[in-house]
Amino acid sequence: MLRRTARRDRMIGLFAAGAVLLNPPILNLVRGSLFGIPARYLYFFLVWALLIGLMAFVGERGSASADERGRGRPRR
Amino acid sequence: MSQPVLVVVAIAYLLLLFAIAWAVERGSGRISRLTGSSIVYTLSLAVYCSSWTFNGGVGRASQSGLDFLPIYLGPTLAFCLAPVLLRRILRISQANRITSISDLIGSRFGKSASLAALVTIIAVIGLVPYIALQLKSISSGLMALSTGRMTPGATGPMLADGALWAAIILTIFAMLFGSRSIRPGEHHPGMVVAVAAESILKLLSLTAVGLFVVYGLYGGFGDLFTQASKVPEIRVIFDEFPANHGYSWISMTALAALAVFCLPRQFQVMVVENVDENHLVRAAWLFPLYLLLINLFVLPIAFAGRMMLPEETDPDNIVLALPFVADYPALALVAFLGGLSAAASMVVVETTALSVMVCNDVVMPALLRVRRLGLSSRSDLTRLLLWIRRAAMAFIMVLGYIYMRHDSAQFALVSIGLMSFVAVAQFAPAILCGIYWRGASQLGAFAGISAGFLIWCYTLLLPSFAQSGALDIHFLIDGPFRIELLKPHALFGLSGLDPVTHAAFWSLLVNTGVLIAVSLGGRQTPVERARAAMFVDAVESGEAAQIWRRTALVPDLMSLTARFLGRERAAAAYASFARTRGVDPATAVQADAETVLFYERLLAGVIGAASARVLVGAIVEEEPLGVDEMMRILDETSRLIEANRQLEEKSQALEAATAELKEANARLQVLDRMKDDFVVTVNHELRTPLASIRAFSEILRDHPDLPDEERLEFLRIMVTESERLTRLIGQLLDLSKIEASGSMPAQSAPVDLAQVVRESAAAVQQVFARSRVELRIEVETEPAIVTGDRDRLVQVVINLLGNAAKFSPAGRGRAVLALRRVGREYELSVADNGPGIRPRDREVVFERFRQLGDSIDDKPQGAGLGLAISHRIVMQHGGRIWVEGTEAGGAVFKVRLPLSPRKAPEIGAPAASAHQA
Repeated sequence: MLRRTARRDRMIGLFAAGAVLLNPPILNLVRGSLFGIPARYLYFFLVWALLIGLMAFVGERGSASADERGRGRPRR
Repeated sequence: MSQPVLVVVAIAYLLLLFAIAWAVERGSGRISRLTGSSIVYTLSLAVYCSSWTFNGGVGRASQSGLDFLPIYLGPTLAFCLAPVLLRRILRISQANRITSISDLIGSRFGKSASLAALVTIIAVIGLVPYIALQLKSISSGLMALSTGRMTPGATGPMLADGALWAAIILTIFAMLFGSRSIRPGEHHPGMVVAVAAESILKLLSLTAVGLFVVYGLYGGFGDLFTQASKVPEIRVIFDEFPANHGYSWISMTALAALAVFCLPRQFQVMVVENVDENHLVRAAWLFPLYLLLINLFVLPIAFAGRMMLPEETDPDNIVLALPFVADYPALALVAFLGGLSAAASMVVVETTALSVMVCNDVVMPALLRVRRLGLSSRSDLTRLLLWIRRAAMAFIMVLGYIYMRHDSAQFALVSIGLMSFVAVAQFAPAILCGIYWRGASQLGAFAGISAGFLIWCYTLLLPSFAQSGALDIHFLIDGPFRIELLKPHALFGLSGLDPVTHAAFWSLLVNTGVLIAVSLGGRQTPVERARAAMFVDAVESGEAAQIWRRTALVPDLMSLTARFLGRERAAAAYASFARTRGVDPATAVQADAETVLFYERLLAGVIGAASARVLVGAIVEEEPLGVDEMMRILDETSRLIEANRQLEEKSQALEAATAELKEANARLQVLDRMKDDFVVTVNHELRTPLASIRAFSEILRDHPDLPDEERLEFLRIMVTESERLTRLIGQLLDLSKIEASGSMPAQSAPVDLAQVVRESAAAVQQVFARSRVELRIEVETEPAIVTGDRDRLVQVVINLLGNAAKFSPAGRGRAVLALRRVGREYELSVADNGPGIRPRDREVVFERFRQLGDSIDDKPQGAGLGLAISHRIVMQHGGRIWVEGTEAGGAVFKVRLPLSPRKAPEIGAPAASAHQA
């Protein structure tokens, strides 16, 4: 129960982080270019990818551990 | 590349997709199992990426840089909220068998048909531009590839118009995919798999073009962006802040986040077509990943297009134009098929979803209301439903085509799409309030959605007509009637925002405001309240939802009911109720209005209707304070009921005791009556010998001249009768002794039954003579020695003879007293030719004081004490006595006594004297 709630809360946290980091005015702070690539493009996709990675981590770990618990019970 | 070839390729591709769908729905082999996969589910969600993404995204990026990205950022953020928001919508929808977004809103707000119809109409109006956009994209792609002209507005005559053919073909395909048959729950597994296949092609196609551009035309990302930064216009796009401090960015993010569950096609694939809730967990990050991948190359392609293609190229055609211009027609064809996939999947799913909405929420309710058609009494309406849906699809496509022909040339793909986003976003306040706030009322939702939609029409739809020339352009520039404050793009003077942001802001603000204000001010009907509670209390999220699934509404109602009815009865009642509705009581958790009503009625049967309503209302609303309060009251009530129950138990026990007493009293009364009978009977029995003695005494007194012999005989009889009288009295005492102790010591001496017979016959001779009954004596065996009490046996025989004399008809009565040997027993029988004894009475005549007549005065009927005593005596001698019927209809009393083991014929004196008689 705790784990499920924790997962939900973490996802809400990711939502908040994504909403802040990928929207103005924070987004407006990033400008110029890095290694010839526009910095905002780089920033946006990196943060986006990171966000998706964390979502996958939180979501899959939660369901994996839930599966494990479900599988572990009958063995015991 | 000629247009016919392109059309053939496009149709062949669509046919391939249809073959996939068909194979899936046929359920053949491995392919049909695809529907149960979370990957397919994710890919079907990617129907979100229409040709707007494929062609329009690049177009927008070439004009304003990263501005296309909020459209994909929004869904990503929305899927962050999947465990809280989307899963809730999913569960509610599946629990309530929701089939469309209008169904969802309609069911939430008191199953309102008018609200569902409003939502449907708004969805159709709002999405027509979006569908037009897909047609435009296909036709311009077709045009670009076949003619090589990449300039915008290249529409030819109508029949040669690719969009018309695209519309017709897509309509047919939509019908084939979406309305082949009516399926429970509106599942279309074939369509889902086909859409998933299209999503793969979209991604591969755009990625292929992207890789070709970045690595084929340029030397990688760095090279491309470095070259791009040298172009001043691109540099400007890039370094600029998003316009107006990013309001439009934020509003687009928000709109996209709402659209991902408000768009009918998204609702269709995400909610309606969902087969496993757990797919959503994986899709929550896989779908954003898909969005990221498909957008990765958008900006490079756009910049390359800006740099390599001529100025007048339609930005929305860049994806096709780049490989075409670079002389890679095969890649251009792949790009075209990608765009076609995007457009086709969007059109098919959207029209399917819309046709279900139009059919279920607008046309069918209207048709069913028209009594004349008699639809409500028709049993099978599936055919009619299918044709209504097909007609709806055709209608929507026609609208889309007309809109495209007349209006859309003015707009880039993205701005048309955003217009539709704002329209469907009007559903979001009603949905969000509906699933989180119990107080949101039907009237509020109706008013809010209507107000938001009107503002959308005023700030986006009418201006689009004005821009295309259908309306006076001054309406747009100066406002209606030159009222500055009412300018559609700067309502109430709010200027400086782009039209979409402006419209989104005003429409959503008014929508939400009106919804909340009306809901707060109004009052909900009980039906609405029940529905609201079911939606809002349905799922908290995560584990709480799991708990709810197992223990919420029905279990709550069950435990409430069990408090009053007892668990077993409550469970049994619910089980039978569930059976009548075809629901499995073990798994059904969602208590719909009917179940709530059922429980309310069940409770009302126990605690009264008013209390039941309050109790059920408290459970359904689940207000924490209210529940505590209610539980306290409930406990008191149940204590009261418990006390009442105990009282009832005690009174029942009292009643039982009273009944026992009554019974005992009745028994006593019977015994009392029997005692009276006994006394009367004894009186009679005593009278008989006394009468005999008295009669002989009177003869002796009145006739002194009687011969001595006769006198002696009379005296002897008198003595005998007196002795019998004495014996009788003794017997009565004995009998009472038997009654008291249950045993009587029988004198055991050898007795000759033949003597007993003769003695008895002599004793009753007078009686027989008086009642003029003939008595015959048949002694077959002599001596017949048994062990016992002589007097008793004589008593038995006299008794039986007395009865025979009594019951035989006077004058022609015949009685036979017989003695014979049967095996190891002697049988004494007394037969008469009287009325006999009915078979059912034959057992009871031996009971003490049992009278076959009605009263004791009915003398000839009275068997009275005699048979009872006889029965007892025979039993004490180890014999049996019973009665049979004779052939003539009389009665035969039979007595059997065992042979005496002692053979010695010791015959006592009394027997000898009797013999003399």
